[in-house]
Amino acid sequence: MQSSPNSSSGKLIIRTVAAWLVALILFFPLLFLAVTAFKTEGQAIAVPSLWVFTPTLENFVEVQARSNYLHFAWNSVVTSVVSTVLGLLIAAPAAYSMAFSPTKRTKDILMWMLSTKMMPAVGALVPIYVIAQTAGLLDTKFALIVVFTMSNLPIMVWMLYSHFKDIPHEILEASRMDGANLWDEFRHVLLPLGMGGLASTGLLCLVLAWNEAFWALNLGSAKAGTLATLVASYSSPEGLFWAKLSAASLMAIAPIIVFGWFSQKQLVQGLTFGAVK
Amino acid sequence: MAFLELKGVEKFYGKLRAIKGVNLAINKGEFIVFVGPSGCGKSTLLRMIAGLETINGGQLMLDGKDITHEPSSKRDLAMVFQSYALYPHMTVEENMSFALRLAKVAPEVIKEKVSKAAEKLNLTSYLERTPKALSGGQRQRVAIGRAIVRQPKVFLFDEPLSNLDAALRGQTRVEIAKLHRELGATTIYVTHDQVEAMTLADRVVVLRDGMIEQVGTPLELYDRPANRFVAQFIGMPQMNVLPVGMFPKAGNVYEVGIRPEHLTIVGANEGQLRGTIELIEALGNETLIHVNLGTAMIIVRQYERTRSQLGEQVGVQFDPAHLHRFDKEGKAILDGNKLAGAAA
Ligand SMILES: Nc1ncnc2c1ncn2[C@@H]1O[C@H](COP(=O)(O)OP(=O)(O)OP(=O)(O)O)[C@@H](O)[C@H]1O
Ligand SMILES: [Mg+2]
Repeated sequence: MQSSPNSSSGKLIIRTVAAWLVALILFFPLLFLAVTAFKTEGQAIAVPSLWVFTPTLENFVEVQARSNYLHFAWNSVVTSVVSTVLGLLIAAPAAYSMAFSPTKRTKDILMWMLSTKMMPAVGALVPIYVIAQTAGLLDTKFALIVVFTMSNLPIMVWMLYSHFKDIPHEILEASRMDGANLWDEFRHVLLPLGMGGLASTGLLCLVLAWNEAFWALNLGSAKAGTLATLVASYSSPEGLFWAKLSAASLMAIAPIIVFGWFSQKQLVQGLTFGAVK
Repeated sequence: MAFLELKGVEKFYGKLRAIKGVNLAINKGEFIVFVGPSGCGKSTLLRMIAGLETINGGQLMLDGKDITHEPSSKRDLAMVFQSYALYPHMTVEENMSFALRLAKVAPEVIKEKVSKAAEKLNLTSYLERTPKALSGGQRQRVAIGRAIVRQPKVFLFDEPLSNLDAALRGQTRVEIAKLHRELGATTIYVTHDQVEAMTLADRVVVLRDGMIEQVGTPLELYDRPANRFVAQFIGMPQMNVLPVGMFPKAGNVYEVGIRPEHLTIVGANEGQLRGTIELIEALGNETLIHVNLGTAMIIVRQYERTRSQLGEQVGVQFDPAHLHRFDKEGKAILDGNKLAGAAA
């Protein structure tokens, strides 16, 4: 077979076009959402959709005025940050012991932990709801934090475990020989060497907690509601207001998108589970 | 009194009894070398002393204190790992000063100790580099430097030279010997390499299957091995061991051993043994001649070039004073009946 420069550059063009196409298809709903957020309600439901119009900020003002955006945003920040920090505090020691003092059962325990993620969350809804209700924790940030932490723990342990496994055990042993106690070992060796893993695990769980809607909707709606519940509130009780719904959604995802943008390198590194160095 | 003492220490990995009641007393300033075949438990025993493996039985005493269950960080021992195990995120200087910084030694003192050690190890111009930017030999020296700045009670080495090439290994071996003379520090050194064992050790500990076979100075082990295993483990090429049937029967002697250099090739009708030459290995400084005795093979080492030919019928001669005798269990018979040195 002959591959002339022409045909290979032709292939390249096809590939480039295809890549852009896929990217645009994936990105389109988001783009549409962003555009709609700046329309009036009338413009929003126009068919065919308008692409040229005078943008307005009215929707954003109204969302804040009507449902106190900042209240929900604050709840989102608190629940996701606290659950992530808490999760790291629990997952790091667990991953440490699994990576550096494994037993015959370590692999089984890891599999079992991951298997809990395969169960649909609805399956646990009733018991958790009842527990929260009995404990008087319904619609509290505390309940959300606990549930977010628990549901992220398996992933956190897995990610940290695979990162820690990349650290040669002998380096930790060397530090012990040098007189490091557990805290010194963590502070001077494990933390600096495992920083990449801890950061990417933390980032991923922050995003997961921020985006979490199932438990947020079911356990906290008013006082403890996160941005996910804010968005949901625009779809049912007040009828479908596309423009406001879009504005609310945009406001809900904007912080985490900006955040994700700046940390994408860490995230990608983390998602390869430490396989690529 | 011994400085470091192992009293019947035991190690189990599940059901596997990896170390089987080892007793050993090490004096202050001694250079002890652990040798033995792969998997015999050298590293395990060393790591038990280091506190990196728990001790499941027996007692470990250091300087009169029971440290059996003391954590590594409190034992005040230094270890040089085969993989060097340098801290990759620290410079050479930080690597070497880490222990002192943890111990909250004054910065001026640290600086002085580190620069002194760096000078000794030719590392002065690398102090600002990270381990990634060093060659294998330099990393090795940093690992040694990290151990010596601390002036620990005991140095532990686990095959520290096995990742270096032959030339560098020889050179570093000499440096370690020199270092030990200068510092006079108690040292335990694990190796596969007989030359390292013979040249570095004050006393060699031969291990097999988690048990000590013999402890002694290198020449004691060479000249008076306690059993057949030690006799064949120490010395390259290994000692020839022949069934006693080839010699006049004497007492409970079961096998007879003789080192290759104690054998001489002689004319076909002379000497105590007869055979044909099967292989000649001319190494330049020595020649190894493999002789087939019919029921067994022996190796003869000679320092002159040989005129013998492959397939030639020869006699092999030895001085009976050089014979080692072993009983059925392989134990050496040290004062047994003198064997008449005639072939059967
Ligand atoms: N963590 C472990 N779990 C189970 N068995 C182990 C473990 N570490 C060592 N062993 C076993 O204990 C025995 C002694 O191992 P050790 O590493 O001490 O041998 P060694 O003499 O250092 O060998 P080498 O010369 O190959 O380094 C071996 O049979 C080994 O399989
Ligand atoms: Mg070993």
